[in-house]
Amino acid sequence: MSKLNNGQEPPKIGVYVCHCGGNISDHVDVASVVEQAGGLANVTVARDNSFMCSDPGQELIIEDITSGKVNRIVVASCAPALHETTFRGAIALAGMNPYLYEHANIREQVSWVHHGPGATGKATALVAAAVGKAGELEALEPIRVEAEAHATVLGGGVAGMSAARDLAAQGLRVALVEKSPFLGGQVAQLDKTFPSGEAAGEVLSALAAQVLADQRITVYTCAELSEYSGYVGSFKIKIRRTAPSGADLERLALVKDAQPGTFVPCVGVAAGPGPGEAEEVALVSGAIVLATGFEHYTPPMGEYGYGQMPEVITLPELIRLMADESATGEQLVVNGKTINNLALIHCVGSRQIPGVHQPGPDGKLNQHCSRVCCTATLQAACELREKFPETNVFELYRDIRTYGRGHEDYYLNAGRSGVIFARFTPEAPPVVTQGGEDSALTVTVPDKLLAGQELAIGVDLVVLAVGMEPRDNQALVEKMKLPVGADRFLLEVHPKLRPVELPAAGIYLAGACQAPMDTAEAANAAGAAAAKAGAILSAGFVELDPFVAEVDESKCVGSGACVQACLADEAIEMVDTPASKRARVNPALCMGCGVCVAACEQGAIELSGWTLGQYEAMVDAIVAQALRQGA
Amino acid sequence: MDACAGKYPILILATEDCSYPGANSVGQAHQNYPDNTYIIRTPTPALFPEKFYLDCFAKGVGGIIIMSCGVECPYEGAYPALAKRVNGIYALMKKQGLDIRRLRPTAICTVCNRAFIKEVNLMNQVVAELGAPGSEARAA
Amino acid sequence: MPNGDTQKFDSLVLGGGIAGLAAALDLADAGYRVAVVEQGATIGGKMIRLSKVFPTLDCASCITTSKMAAAAHHPNITLFTMCRLEEAQRVDGQVRARVAQMPRYVDPAKCIGCRQCEYECPVMVPDQEQGGFTARKAIYIPFSNAIPQLALIDREHCMMCGKCSQVCPTGAVDQLQVEQEFVIEADTMVLATGFELMTDFPARAYGNPGLGDNVISSLQMERLLAPHGPYMRALRPGDGKEPESIAFIQCAGSRDLQLGKPYCSRVCCMYAIKQAMLLSGALPLADLTIYYMDIRAFGKNYEQFYNNAKAMGVEFVKAKPIIAGNNQGGSVVLRYEDQEGGSGAKTREHDLVVLSLAMLPAFAPEEIVPVSSATDGFLKVPQPKLAPTLTDMEGVFTCGAAAGPKDIVDSIAEAGAAAMGAAKYLAARRGGQAA
Ligand SMILES: Cc1cc2nc3c(=O)[nH]c(=O)nc-3n(C[C@H](O)[C@H](O)[C@H](O)COP(=O)(O)OP(=O)(O)OC[C@H]3O[C@@H](n4cnc5c(N)ncnc54)[C@H](O)[C@@H]3O)c2cc1C
Ligand SMILES: Cc1cc2nc3c(=O)[nH]c(=O)nc-3n(C[C@H](O)[C@H](O)[C@H](O)COP(=O)(O)OP(=O)(O)OC[C@H]3O[C@@H](n4cnc5c(N)ncnc54)[C@H](O)[C@@H]3O)c2cc1C
Ligand code: SF4
Ligand code: SF4
Ligand code: SF4
Ligand code: SF4
Ligand code: SF4
Repeated sequence: MSKLNNGQEPPKIGVYVCHCGGNISDHVDVASVVEQAGGLANVTVARDNSFMCSDPGQELIIEDITSGKVNRIVVASCAPALHETTFRGAIALAGMNPYLYEHANIREQVSWVHHGPGATGKATALVAAAVGKAGELEALEPIRVEAEAHATVLGGGVAGMSAARDLAAQGLRVALVEKSPFLGGQVAQLDKTFPSGEAAGEVLSALAAQVLADQRITVYTCAELSEYSGYVGSFKIKIRRTAPSGADLERLALVKDAQPGTFVPCVGVAAGPGPGEAEEVALVSGAIVLATGFEHYTPPMGEYGYGQMPEVITLPELIRLMADESATGEQLVVNGKTINNLALIHCVGSRQIPGVHQPGPDGKLNQHCSRVCCTATLQAACELREKFPETNVFELYRDIRTYGRGHEDYYLNAGRSGVIFARFTPEAPPVVTQGGEDSALTVTVPDKLLAGQELAIGVDLVVLAVGMEPRDNQALVEKMKLPVGADRFLLEVHPKLRPVELPAAGIYLAGACQAPMDTAEAANAAGAAAAKAGAILSAGFVELDPFVAEVDESKCVGSGACVQACLADEAIEMVDTPASKRARVNPALCMGCGVCVAACEQGAIELSGWTLGQYEAMVDAIVAQALRQGA
Repeated sequence: MDACAGKYPILILATEDCSYPGANSVGQAHQNYPDNTYIIRTPTPALFPEKFYLDCFAKGVGGIIIMSCGVECPYEGAYPALAKRVNGIYALMKKQGLDIRRLRPTAICTVCNRAFIKEVNLMNQVVAELGAPGSEARAA
Repeated sequence: MPNGDTQKFDSLVLGGGIAGLAAALDLADAGYRVAVVEQGATIGGKMIRLSKVFPTLDCASCITTSKMAAAAHHPNITLFTMCRLEEAQRVDGQVRARVAQMPRYVDPAKCIGCRQCEYECPVMVPDQEQGGFTARKAIYIPFSNAIPQLALIDREHCMMCGKCSQVCPTGAVDQLQVEQEFVIEADTMVLATGFELMTDFPARAYGNPGLGDNVISSLQMERLLAPHGPYMRALRPGDGKEPESIAFIQCAGSRDLQLGKPYCSRVCCMYAIKQAMLLSGALPLADLTIYYMDIRAFGKNYEQFYNNAKAMGVEFVKAKPIIAGNNQGGSVVLRYEDQEGGSGAKTREHDLVVLSLAMLPAFAPEEIVPVSSATDGFLKVPQPKLAPTLTDMEGVFTCGAAAGPKDIVDSIAEAGAAAMGAAKYLAARRGGQAA
């Protein structure tokens, strides 16, 4: 960008009014608008053209700039959404800072909605307002923040591993931080996975092999984030690794001789022995991906008899039982007992309703649907019927939510293979009692499908389809000030506009830490997060919009009102200067909302590109014109 | 519209993301509304201090409509901040003897044509009824 | 575009719906040059045509326009509208796509989107963008927030009166335009061709929207509910009556082995609930009934949304009704078996019936692109867990409803993953290293 025309010289404003081939000029007297604009302070050139957006129209602007006649531009034409970028582009082409531009919308907001003399009057006023603002404009440059070509991924499940792999593939260095000694997350607890039937171990081994083979990825197991500061491009973090203990040691013993990358059922993928003693690693990372996953709901003592009756187990427990290849025969056998009849109960710990369900220890209900458990349950039911044809399977459900591709097939197959369905309402859930005719337990439930008729089913095993709960990651949430939704899962900025982003730039969500999802969906989310992180980091710097708050230190008295008002964390802080405390904005963290501008009584803060001075100039121009016309 | 109201300009502070495009959508539909309305683009109206509003009235602005994105505001937290600020401005307006109907916070989306026109007409009626800003205090 | 011209890009995105746009934006932000090829006259796909969107109930136009504008203004993105993909093959390592630019009969370089032509044109045609409930002209801009804002002529209805050319201030009308073919070469391709609603669904069982009186499709209901819809009110098309009782028939064509498609269309439970909630706001006194098989409110905050609808008084009946005809007042007679109420067949009348129709793939790749579709007809992704968006053609990815029915949230997440897949492929090619 040339140093000329950079907004430092006294304003010489060029005004260009468009006819829009009659669209404007049929209702607005363009000649009169041009004439009056020519008479305004600072205006050196005022012209009109039948189509300002056309090449000849743009040429007018470029020529006036290059010949030194003007150093700020106002175009009065259609809505800025259509051609503001066109005109800024022309200005840049002429070597001038494109922010020395203001747009007056005299088509959508004048000629198309007003007719008669009022239209010309309003167009004149809007041009005068734009000229007023143009006089106050300053040249702006995008804010550049250096960016470390490094990303940190928290969590080593499917989402975390996928994200790490995808980030590395874009040339970034990656730290993959996993709390446990193993990679793989909750999928390690599974056997066959819907909808493709692939073995969980195969999926995890393949993914882990890609991660472990990639030189750009460093895996830290037994590790957690211990310190966090900074902003997009350069987060300063520390990773604390602790020597494994307790159950982790036992599980590690199982894989002692295994190569990293080996999958051990129910445990995970081996990734080295973990540190001998606690250690801390300091990193500078350009972006952070959160992939901390979920937890299985644990039913409280007594929910459907869980914890009281040994014949009541959870779905993950059933999946582990069935994974045992040696279990064959006409009927499923559990703990030496033959299972003639088995009941699967859906929605345990999910879709809870205030006033109907008991809140958990934290006083909260899981009102969400866990999304995967219907299909997982039906998959288990189909497998049971196939492997153990003499074991009868009952599914007690509220709604069958086999929404995904290939999911409905499990439902159809379950029906075909003789699984019996009963539907219950949350107000009248199944009741599990000990004993029964020829059975260990009896389940009674009013079946909605039979007009509420009560069914009593003698069963030998009850399986609870427990849902997905948000993981308790309080320490992390507090350290990173992560937003959490009413459902206690991590909360994105906007589910559609920015589905994998957090309000703080450079931090992304992937997988089941955001909401229940299956592995393919978790991998998708990881890809989406890695795409966003990659886009900002691969250039080596991050370019941010220049429309952020700026403090005039000569006016600031250090009251701190702005810091109080600011909506973004640490976007504005008080720093010591030789004079006294002064506010200072961190452009990388500022959202550009301007709440601080409104809060500062000294008028010491302005939002670049949208200053109060500019607005006042606009209002003055409008009032002057309006009162002139009214008079 | 009342010729008298036309004398006092109505300022519309419209958000870049929602209500400014909303106003353009009214234009595309060629729906008429009074021409004493001046729409000013802003990233969010939360940036205006109380003084800005009061100064506008002092300068002769008859009414101000804040057209925000409402809960769809892209700046997390700015909408509640705005709501709080508006309450503060109302208090100051009352002190200065300004009828608080001269300031109206609304949420207008990109295609809310009818709501836009309704708000503009309503404010025009208010301004026509009240006359010059500040005259209500003198009258009282 | 001169005939036979070749343009080079890093990636070609087929389909300018929300999935295609999101993928294109992610790739463009990463510095790759992207061609978005859209068959329609505007980008935005189905989403720009919706009213409000679940589960946040934000205005569909507001959140789509910003993505559309971002794509249109992005220096790395080039939009090609009204373009049909004739064929795409990998030739010498590059995806070589032959694209037909269909004629607009309006010069895009000259048209300023002023609609003067539209006002003058004497021909009225049912406006499909408004569900067919209102009329448009033979020359028209699709709708107010269409991108690009360019007119096109519907030659099937134009009577060549020449009025549009006379009034056009820029001389943009060009009745002599012909189809032009050009070539796009790119390293990667993303297929984001979306879905269509079932149209030839078994009328025998369900009645046909438009054919059966006062039976409409769910997309038509979206238009009735849109703030910029045909009547700007939720009225019964046909007689303009304010409906007092509205019913939704779920799984119309989906989850139906005999008459339709076996799969679940995944979004219809939620949009029916949404439409019922919007209706209960617009017509507080109307009875709203959803006839369903299962309510599939599985996404983030969807169950809570469903509970709100129940609390607002929307009635849910577990049944799959058939349409038995119309009564004298035009109301639709439904016959059904209440699966939970027992006691045999029931009959009930509703002023208006909305069919939550099955989603079908909009694009059949056969003989155009060498990628396979799965048995459900949507594009096949052979490695759903390890490479969830990769098709069976090298460097070609898919996302959104093209890869199976999907809501907006899931489409956008998948679009990010497809962009990631394409970016990885590009990085590996450029860096010479395997990803
Ligand atoms: C019963 C059941 C059956 C299922 N069956 C299937 C199926 O058949 N097919 C299918 O596709 N999906 C299935 N799923 C879903 C599948 O389990 C999830 O999609 C998947 O586990 C999500 O992966 P994730 O990486 O997001 O989370 P997780 O698997 O939970 O992984 C998160 C990882 O992050 C680590 N972590 C947590 N906090 C921290 C921290 N603060 N710092 C560092 N690391 C941390 C954890 O130790 C863990 O390793 C099933 C789920 C359930 C409940
Ligand atoms: C009635 C209804 C209501 C809905 N409401 C909601 C809601 O409230 N919330 C929600 O999340 N989801 C909702 N949805 C779902 C939503 O519409 C989809 O998730 C979304 O539109 C999918 O986006 P897409 O880009 O994949 O497909 P589409 O929107 O279908 O876009 C595909 C694009 O590709 C183009 N195309 C197709 N084939 C070709 C080709 N061969 N060459 C070039 N271009 C091509 C099409 O013209 C189109 O522009 C609703 C769906 C319906 C039917
Ligand atoms: S997926 Fe099925 S079992 Fe799981 S919470 Fe949802 S409805 Fe209940
Ligand atoms: S503009 Fe908003 S985010 Fe930026 S410093 Fe001010 S209050 Fe904070
Ligand atoms: S074709 Fe001509 S009249 Fe029609 S919108 Fe384009 S420029 Fe206007
Ligand atoms: S030539 Fe065709 S499109 Fe043009 S005005 Fe006549 S009928 Fe309409
Ligand atoms: S989403 Fe609901 S209505 Fe649609 S097919 Fe699935 S179950 Fe039926």
